[in-house]
Amino acid sequence: MIGFNFDYHRPGTPEEALSCFRESTGQGLQTVFYSGGTEFLTHARTGEISAGAVIDIKDIPECRELQWDGEILMIGAALTLNELAGSGEYPLLALAAKGVADHTSRNKITIGGNVNSRLPYREALLPLLLADAAAKVAGPEGERTLPLSELVGQGGRLPSGELLLQILVSRRAVERPHFFRKKTRMTKVGYPLVSLAADREGSRISGAFSGLCGQPFRLAQVDEVLSDKSLTPEAQAAEIRSLLPTAVTADQYASAEYRLFVLGRMLHELAEEWEECR
Amino acid sequence: MEQGWYSVGQPEQRIDAEEKARGTVRFVGDYLSPGLMHAKLVTSERAHAEIRSVDVTEAWKVPGVRAIITGEMFPFHIGPILADRPPLAFKKVRYCGEPLAIIVADAEDQAKQAAERVVVTYDPLPVVNSPSDAMRPGSPLVHEDAGSYQKLISNVYPVSGTNIGSHIKIRKGDAGAAWAQCDETVTASYSFNLTDHAAMEPRAAMAEINPSGKIIIHSCSQSPFTIKKVLNQFFNVELGNVIVHIPLVGGAFGGKGTVQLEPLAYLASKAVGGKLVRLEYSREEDMRTAPCHIGLEATVRLGADKDGRLLAGQYTFLFDSGAYTDQGAGVTRAAALDCTGPYDIANVWCDSYCVYTNHPYATSFRGYGHPELSFAVERTMDKLARRLGLDPVEFRLRNAIKPGDETPTQAVLTANNIGDSAQCLLRAKELIGWDGGKAREAAGGKVRSKGLSLFWKTSTTATNAQAGAVIKFEADGSVNLNCAAIELGQGTKTVLAQILSEKLKMPLSKIRVTMEVNTQYDPHQWRTVASSTTFLAGRAVMSAADDAIAKLKKTAAVALQCAEEDLDIGDGRVYYRPAPEFGVDIQEIALGYKFPNGHTVSGQVIGVGKHVQTHLTPMDEKTGFGKPGPWWSVGAQAVEIELDPADYSYRVLKALTVLDGGTIINPRMAEQQMRGGMYLGLSFASTESFRFDAEGIVLNPSLRDYQMLRFGEEPAEYMVDFVQTPSAAGPYGARGIGEYGVIGMAPALANALSAATGAELDELPLTPETVWRAAGEGSR
Repeated sequence: MIGFNFDYHRPGTPEEALSCFRESTGQGLQTVFYSGGTEFLTHARTGEISAGAVIDIKDIPECRELQWDGEILMIGAALTLNELAGSGEYPLLALAAKGVADHTSRNKITIGGNVNSRLPYREALLPLLLADAAAKVAGPEGERTLPLSELVGQGGRLPSGELLLQILVSRRAVERPHFFRKKTRMTKVGYPLVSLAADREGSRISGAFSGLCGQPFRLAQVDEVLSDKSLTPEAQAAEIRSLLPTAVTADQYASAEYRLFVLGRMLHELAEEWEECR
Repeated sequence: MEQGWYSVGQPEQRIDAEEKARGTVRFVGDYLSPGLMHAKLVTSERAHAEIRSVDVTEAWKVPGVRAIITGEMFPFHIGPILADRPPLAFKKVRYCGEPLAIIVADAEDQAKQAAERVVVTYDPLPVVNSPSDAMRPGSPLVHEDAGSYQKLISNVYPVSGTNIGSHIKIRKGDAGAAWAQCDETVTASYSFNLTDHAAMEPRAAMAEINPSGKIIIHSCSQSPFTIKKVLNQFFNVELGNVIVHIPLVGGAFGGKGTVQLEPLAYLASKAVGGKLVRLEYSREEDMRTAPCHIGLEATVRLGADKDGRLLAGQYTFLFDSGAYTDQGAGVTRAAALDCTGPYDIANVWCDSYCVYTNHPYATSFRGYGHPELSFAVERTMDKLARRLGLDPVEFRLRNAIKPGDETPTQAVLTANNIGDSAQCLLRAKELIGWDGGKAREAAGGKVRSKGLSLFWKTSTTATNAQAGAVIKFEADGSVNLNCAAIELGQGTKTVLAQILSEKLKMPLSKIRVTMEVNTQYDPHQWRTVASSTTFLAGRAVMSAADDAIAKLKKTAAVALQCAEEDLDIGDGRVYYRPAPEFGVDIQEIALGYKFPNGHTVSGQVIGVGKHVQTHLTPMDEKTGFGKPGPWWSVGAQAVEIELDPADYSYRVLKALTVLDGGTIINPRMAEQQMRGGMYLGLSFASTESFRFDAEGIVLNPSLRDYQMLRFGEEPAEYMVDFVQTPSAAGPYGARGIGEYGVIGMAPALANALSAATGAELDELPLTPETVWRAAGEGSR
């Protein structure tokens, strides 16, 4: 049971969605875009989120597209994680997506919602950070395309009133050799203590992490450490630790020390997996 | 013993299987009624604070709000053992999530909106955040004067000026002198936090008061007659004016055995002129506000001679009962009286404390003190075996309790009141392929190991705990059974139907059991807890069947013109034993026998029966001396795990239970019940735990972050076997088995992980991080 009333809109085009947003906010209603609804509904029920108007973007055709435009894969923001995982188009994204929540929830959770989630994990973002993905966004100033990391990297979220339509990824990024590991506290379904998505171009390894710090991150200096063949996994872990953007998370799921231990194990597994490149 | 069972021992399908599988069963939360009003609670955001004010001004402005009830409107304490808990907090709050006010509104969302607008201001008090903190001299007090509260039973001993809600003592033999005789001793400490029952159905209750003063409660309780008692004792209403209706219950695990929602629903209904009001907890309220599973800090010291004979045991249990004693005081007592586990120890010293903290309060949980004490005892047994250089199985066998021995409360065990613990252990050893508890290398650098535990439990029911049953006949000769045993998923109604089928030698399909319970027409029953229902209600059904059979024979004797004692019953007939083809169908006599001329004699047959506990006593305050329970069921459990030493993750390959349940009435359901118990035990042991911050706030009061084992994470293989030493007092030789699958899982898992890592695993839950931490600091 949600303890507040809200207007619900379901526009068919980005233009309609934006004008709907203008009207609702003009009436003084706090307005949010809405897609799978898993986060809105569960947090609204517990009183952690509220809104006066909700604009559901699932009927906007662009947001439901998954197709190649030449060398670019266009991923509609309202595609569910299971749709993406099942499509076979983007194997690393499929791995990361399948780690999120449980199967029933992934039938609803969308890629746009996950990369913009209010939770600190946003694991579907990891492959997209490695791919230097672009975001196609509709906003008051019209449509624009910009690096996804500018929008939602470094702990950022989409500005209010901006609508994520699609995520764009290059074929080269999609086809790179890749690696994904997720470690939870105990049960398979759960938030990551650490998730690591990595890909490789020649001997150049890039990695993106979730769970380790307060936000998912990918850092150029960390990529350098991961690519440095002279370092043992232990040495890599120590280096990465010194480069982390914020303190290692310590919460009810795990201590910071254990997260670092898990990170070390993952780097071992990564080194084993790509032994031939070392 | 009778041989050649009719229905007992058959793997009959549950009589409620189809409705449940089709999803057509109605639970309390499914009932709608015109004019139904909705209640929501305002709960405390603090774990320990004085209430400065509760401002309801803004809440009244929400449309549809009909009543707001706050704590000072009912400033009295209630409780099942010690009356220490106000239904709504007044003056101070003692846990985060404690009810402070009730909003009653026309619609549920209105009530919820209004509840969110109540402004409570607090003056914070220092928080008592663990039982050991609570026991420290000078600790803040959760209750200023625990000794002043009304006692509802005799065996509860609060200590004023401390955080002790009850202190139970066991003094057997000369524990002081015995230690000098021991060649080896071991002392170790254990702990785990409070956890949740997490039944699939969150708790809900509805209440109304009709114009003639009858109070009708609909609830998902295990204890309908206790609801009547509580309303009578504390709310000054006549016992007979309270009617309690219980539909099917969607899982309970002990959490619905105590009375919490119903008084709140009653107060809510009273505040709106007796209208029907529903109070239904969200999952989060069910976890945070409703009572949960008790926590424990324990220290166990065991001593043995060089032959591996246990000579002395000392047990200190600090139970984290949270803010109120509730059934925690009973758990404290139950753990004390079985403190040794199923071992014969001549010298026993136990101090079991029910400790107040500022945590959500605890109540009964499947096993009632026994999963808790078994974790501490069975871990210590493994340690002492190692020190003695004995195989853990051999060490347990040398000390396993048997007829002729005495329990810690000096109750004498006989062949009838205890099962065969050695036999259970030997069978478990064989089935798990016991290898001495050693770690073995497995493929991929993994390590496999096995751990086991031996356990027992008696049921500390009230000394006058009882059940009744009524049997009525249809005109077609089929039978209806009414009994106040609650169906909560354990299959009790099916077992009772089988017992009746056995007595009447009538197919199960001709027996219909009323699934719901209504105190207005069902005979009195104590409660559906303590693995006692097959025993108490089963015996009541047998007694009702005997009554019905005698009456059927009396009528049949008229019809058949013979002596009653020459008649037998079976397959829907009463027949003349010397010539069985000569008889009368039950349908011809069930509503009286009609002669060809229309004259009718005897009228309908109604069978009534009851059974009450025999020769139970309370415990002596100073020594614990007494006979607390009717029988002890014993069993052995084992697990095999595979651990990845690289990251300390593990999975459970096999989980095994061998239980001496006496005669098993329904082997398929019994096996399923053991599997369910093992799953619950493994989930509690491996992942479940409420986490508290420094202020005593629960950090994980939702299933988003309170992690349980999920479907698919169960052991790869379950193994269940039964030793069947008949219990002379039980129906057809059956003992209680409901709780037993849980009891030994935590120590079996911890023993296996200790074997795999060489580390001592003495804390729950056993997450990979717990194992990693212990392995880093443990001695390999």
